[in-house]
Amino acid sequence: MKLGELSRISTVRLLPVYGILFVLWSVLLIGWVQYDTKRYLSGVVDEILRQRMHYLSNIDRDHLPEVIAQTGALDLRVLQGLFDQQGRKIAGNIERIPEGVLIDGVVHSLPGGAQQMGAKEPVRARGLAKGIGNGEVLILARATSVVDQVNSIIYRSLFWGLTLTIIPGLIGGLWLARGPLRRIRAIESAAQPIMRGDLHQRLPMSGRRDELDMLAGIVNSMLDEIERLMSEVKGVCDSIAHDLRTPLTRLRSQLHRMHREANDGAHAGVVEQAILDVDSLLDRFRALLRISELEDMHRRAGFTEVRLASTLDHVREIYTPLAEDKHIAFTFEIAPDVPTVRGDPNLLLEAVSNIVDNAIKFTPANGSIRLRLIKDADAGARIDVIDSGPGIQNSEREAVLQRFYRGTCSNKDVSGSGLGLSIVAAIVKLHGFRLQIVDHPGGGAWLSLLCGPNAGQLRSAS
Amino acid sequence: MARVLIIEDDRVTADEICAELQRYGLDTEWVGDGATGLERARGGFYDAITLDRMLPGMDGLTVVTRLREYGVQTPVLMISALSDADERVRGLRAGGDDYLTKPFNPDEMAARIEVLLRRHAGASRPMMLRVGDLQLDLIDRTAKRGDTLLDLLPTEFRLLEFLMRHSGRVLTRTMIFEAVWGYHFDPGTNVIEVHIGRLRRKLDPPEREPLIHTVRGVGYVLEAR
Repeated sequence: MKLGELSRISTVRLLPVYGILFVLWSVLLIGWVQYDTKRYLSGVVDEILRQRMHYLSNIDRDHLPEVIAQTGALDLRVLQGLFDQQGRKIAGNIERIPEGVLIDGVVHSLPGGAQQMGAKEPVRARGLAKGIGNGEVLILARATSVVDQVNSIIYRSLFWGLTLTIIPGLIGGLWLARGPLRRIRAIESAAQPIMRGDLHQRLPMSGRRDELDMLAGIVNSMLDEIERLMSEVKGVCDSIAHDLRTPLTRLRSQLHRMHREANDGAHAGVVEQAILDVDSLLDRFRALLRISELEDMHRRAGFTEVRLASTLDHVREIYTPLAEDKHIAFTFEIAPDVPTVRGDPNLLLEAVSNIVDNAIKFTPANGSIRLRLIKDADAGARIDVIDSGPGIQNSEREAVLQRFYRGTCSNKDVSGSGLGLSIVAAIVKLHGFRLQIVDHPGGGAWLSLLCGPNAGQLRSAS
Repeated sequence: MARVLIIEDDRVTADEICAELQRYGLDTEWVGDGATGLERARGGFYDAITLDRMLPGMDGLTVVTRLREYGVQTPVLMISALSDADERVRGLRAGGDDYLTKPFNPDEMAARIEVLLRRHAGASRPMMLRVGDLQLDLIDRTAKRGDTLLDLLPTEFRLLEFLMRHSGRVLTRTMIFEAVWGYHFDPGTNVIEVHIGRLRRKLDPPEREPLIHTVRGVGYVLEAR
């Protein structure tokens, strides 16, 4: 499965959006937790400081240094210091008056931190300072390292949480997207024969009743309806052809009887012409019903390995006299190592016969027709029928395969129902082969029958 | 006179078959359903049977299968609206001798019945065929018109053999194509005409009485007139 292909799946396209939303929400949540925790922890620190200050404020000035020393030993985390008017330390374990401290009796974050006695540098801390008379100042501070540590724990867990959620999430998302893609693939391959015209096929359903099943179900019901309509139209055509054949056959036998009984020469000629006309009508109906019959057939177990060389041998045997009668040079080439193909030998002979019959019809006297069987790199085997006739115009190539079409340069003298190539097309389709029509560089038409299991899917080279 | 049993549920078709066969001098008897048909065919002495493939009650395939099970060897021409090649094979496997698709040309039907009658009568297949001064030796694979040895291609030989085996009977183009080449499709405009034409040029030189005759709109017949 290619990455480019995966990126087009809607699930995969939604992944980044979902990921971003997830990250934003996590950051918001953790941010709030962090803010609240920090506020709470700061509150606890502040409360300790306030209580200690309250206690110390009520101590007699003379005993204060002593009490400070005692309480300092009691709780090492709270720094305490008593400073005189000049900022000299009288008692306590704070090195010096912290920078930027406000002497207002309220707890603040100390912008310059607080330095413990003996420590090399100040640490981040919260503190409060209060004047106790005579310009002396009592300062309490407590390092906020706990708050900082909790903060960093929260940040770390946010980082790992996101990493550990997003990476498996993305991988899982891609993996999940493969499931529907695989089903789309199955639907695509099931749709191939439908697009080639096999309306009996249906899209696969997983039985999970999910949205893909719903879609496949909708398409399948549409196909049911299309198939029904098609078969109705076909049924109408077929029954017209069928119903008309019976009275036509009767008409023909009546004409035939008349012809047998008519002694009058002039009338005999008219009746004869009428019989020929009825015959050509019947031929057309026969061909029409034949096409319809071929279109109804499915690939069956009846297919065998066909040696195309022997098919072509039969075609040569049947048509050589016709070519010779028209003074057409009918040449025949068979490559030695052409593989066999799976098919119905009778139908394949019918197809090649029709192509050759057409070629003989449209090639003028003293022309040439080449019948050739060669190995084809893509299809397996290829039958070429190349004639020196007028060729088939580019614009007419599709049309000649349709029912009743006869080329614009068709000679009125050339008889035929115009259904020969439609029969070929129906047989080719039944086998999954391909019929290719090009102009031969030397003039004339060049029809190729690409026979092989994958010929039907090959792109047209012309 | 040869008697033909017609098992056909459609009255109009049955009338048509009867009329055409009577025109060929055959005696006909008609029944409208499979069960009665089977009963008659078992008991009666018929030389040929035309059997519709689709009949009410017992269908044509069952009739012919039962008939063969009872050991009745009367030749059967199956007539069916189903032209599928598989249907043909099924009909012939069940014991039918020939298969014709509806709607059919009455001449074609009659020609096929005639061939069946003939095949049945002369069950032995002679290795030397003679029509007038024409001789076909199936062992040596040689053909002679009078004292002249004819130079025939294998296809022409097969074609001549078929015409001679059924000499005096009208053979339609489809019958010829089926018998000589073994395929069941419309071979195109004038394939059979051309092949017959070539055979005719070899067989009937201008100084001789022609043996191959065209029956306009139907087919060909080989006979010394």
